[in-house]
Amino acid sequence: MIILNIIIKDIKIIFSDKKALAIIIIMPLVLMTILSFALKGSFASSDEVINNKVKIAVVKKYDEAKDTEMFKSILKSSFLKTGFEDLESVDLLDELNVEDMFFNDFLDSEEVKKIISYNIEEENKSLEMLDNSDISAIILLPEKYVYDMKMNLLTPFRNKIDIKILTHPDRNIEGQIVKSIVKAYSDAISTIAIGKNVIIEASNLYNIGDGGLEGISDLIEGMTESIQSINIDIDDVMVDGRKSITSGDYYAVAMMTMFILYAASHGGRMLLEEKDNKTYQRMIIGDISEVKVLFGKFFTVFIIAIVQIIIMVIYSSIALKVDWGNLYYVTIISVTAAFSVAGVGAFIASLTFKAGNYKVANIFESAIIQVMSLLGGSFFPIDILPNVIQKLNIISINGIVLKSYLKVIKGHGGTDIINNIILLLIIGVLFTILSVAILKEGRGRLNDKYHKVENVKA
Amino acid sequence: MLVVEDLYKSFGNIQAVEDVSFEVKKGEVFGLLGPNGAGKSTTISMISTLFPPTKGNIIFEGYNILDNPKKIRNKLGVVPQDIALYPTLSGYENLSFWGNVYGLKGAELKKRINEIADIVGLNGRIKDKVDKYSGGMKRRINIGAALLHKPDLLIMDEPTVGIDPQSRNHILDTVLELNKQGMTIIYTSHYMEEVEYLCSRVCIMDEGKIIASGTQHELVELINGKTQINIKTDKIDESLEECLKNISGVYAIKTMDDIISLYGENVDILLAEIIDKVTKYGRRIESIDVKKPNLESVFLHLTGKALRD
Repeated sequence: MIILNIIIKDIKIIFSDKKALAIIIIMPLVLMTILSFALKGSFASSDEVINNKVKIAVVKKYDEAKDTEMFKSILKSSFLKTGFEDLESVDLLDELNVEDMFFNDFLDSEEVKKIISYNIEEENKSLEMLDNSDISAIILLPEKYVYDMKMNLLTPFRNKIDIKILTHPDRNIEGQIVKSIVKAYSDAISTIAIGKNVIIEASNLYNIGDGGLEGISDLIEGMTESIQSINIDIDDVMVDGRKSITSGDYYAVAMMTMFILYAASHGGRMLLEEKDNKTYQRMIIGDISEVKVLFGKFFTVFIIAIVQIIIMVIYSSIALKVDWGNLYYVTIISVTAAFSVAGVGAFIASLTFKAGNYKVANIFESAIIQVMSLLGGSFFPIDILPNVIQKLNIISINGIVLKSYLKVIKGHGGTDIINNIILLLIIGVLFTILSVAILKEGRGRLNDKYHKVENVKA
Repeated sequence: MLVVEDLYKSFGNIQAVEDVSFEVKKGEVFGLLGPNGAGKSTTISMISTLFPPTKGNIIFEGYNILDNPKKIRNKLGVVPQDIALYPTLSGYENLSFWGNVYGLKGAELKKRINEIADIVGLNGRIKDKVDKYSGGMKRRINIGAALLHKPDLLIMDEPTVGIDPQSRNHILDTVLELNKQGMTIIYTSHYMEEVEYLCSRVCIMDEGKIIASGTQHELVELINGKTQINIKTDKIDESLEECLKNISGVYAIKTMDDIISLYGENVDILLAEIIDKVTKYGRRIESIDVKKPNLESVFLHLTGKALRD
């Protein structure tokens, strides 16, 4: 009961503090509004992308004639001749036009044309175009592309083909679409190459000879159909994104997850403030244990975070038209996020109390929250950061919460967020246990253990 | 009601309280008098169970509170020297919270808050925020918060520091009224007049130790009727002090601003000699004040320094 009284009192104090209210409520609302409008271009929705088509450039770094010549000469080499003497006689080389496959069958297919328009450009010019935002991505077909493709599709060998895709950092969605489509193409080619290998091995094993080559021939004939069937995968790419994330969605979540950390920072100061005001001592005299006081702060931070979340969800839904998705999942994420933030708040409160000054809370506020925000993606999406830094995302509470909300907004289900929920609960429990341990360890300053007292008379 | 036995408290190398013993009887106003840093607040913090002594015992109503601090906590009201309230909350909200701390709720709490507002004279301002109160009003609401649960023992630590005379008088009258109603009070102060006005028995502390204790009469008896003479002159220097100190019958001498305080017996003879010496020294006497023996005199006698040093 007394914990409830402490919470009510603390909430009243916070709501009478205009500066605190500005930081924890008003500032995130203002920032999410500004950022969502300012960075709208970086978060074009997939619908918009499809309507406008993604402009790309394709750079051919290979020489088709040279590659074809090289392939023919390698076929004539002794180590490939056995079993493939008649390869040329079945006109497979003529049937297999690698460039046609990529450009005509793939990029010019009805489905891909709906999304992507391309031009073949020189490398330098295409880079310039990307720099100027004239295009959203560049597909770089590597040197010996034709040779390697023929090797992969017509011989038992698998040469590595490294198709590079350069994307514009401000056009994240478009870049992702291009990457996904090219990946789908690569997967289709890989499937064909594997099928070919099976036929070759079977031909050799059963000494089928020409029959095997006819099988390869049939396989290659079916390539066009296979590649064109990529349109199914392309649809999947769009479906996989489910609902795409707009700048409003992203920054509503990003600012909210960042600013709930300020609730922890605020709560982190409250215990030492009580001590400085001598109200903590008055509570101890009133037979309120330090752990009860700490739990009062824990639940105060929890409630502040919940209030922040509710206000920001409502505001963003109305003002920024954010569709938060399944409210059941949103509630679960919100409660667990507030719980973990409360645990961190209690932890900072204990450390600050033990230190006897506000350095810990100040460091958390001015440095740790900023680093967590950066790593967690509250400032900008972390997929533009190097992979190593992206992996550090796991240490930021806001990053975990942000990922969870975004998944729900995209339309993912409970199984996709359960790991994050468990992680948040673990963080909350761990920090709460630590905060109690630190406070009990530090109580010697104010409330020593009575059994240590010696009796002069005894 | 309360027995303090051989209390010691050290903080690192600093001996804050040393060998302090006294007894507070039920229904009395017991004074702890001493200058700032004398160890009064440390002593009452130990009685309040904020921290334990390094050595010694504190017995409340037969229970050693070092073994069982809860025995005193529910029956104790503490008015700390600082304003231990939430400044951005109203007086009513503060009293409501501290009432909750002591288990009061609902109609009982509301009734008690109104009673307290009456007692501390803040009825008309109880809904105002504490940070809008004057210093005296803050002191009064600070006292009110300690009275909500009708404690048997009230400890007041310098409750009148830095306030206007009107609020001070109100607080002193409140203390007497509470005592009349049966409340036992420990009152600490470095204001001799307040302790003289309120307390039946007094402990004088200095540098962590008790230097004298007893009723006011017993304490004044310690100096055998010695009188304090305060002389204000146009100029005071060390040589004048030295000259006056050599007068036979002067036990102690202290200079504060432009006043020399001498302390001695046979005031009639002494006074004449003092005037003679000062005049011969070429100083002009602006005023002479002869004070009857009081606690200030006792303190000066025992320590050679004034209470407000």
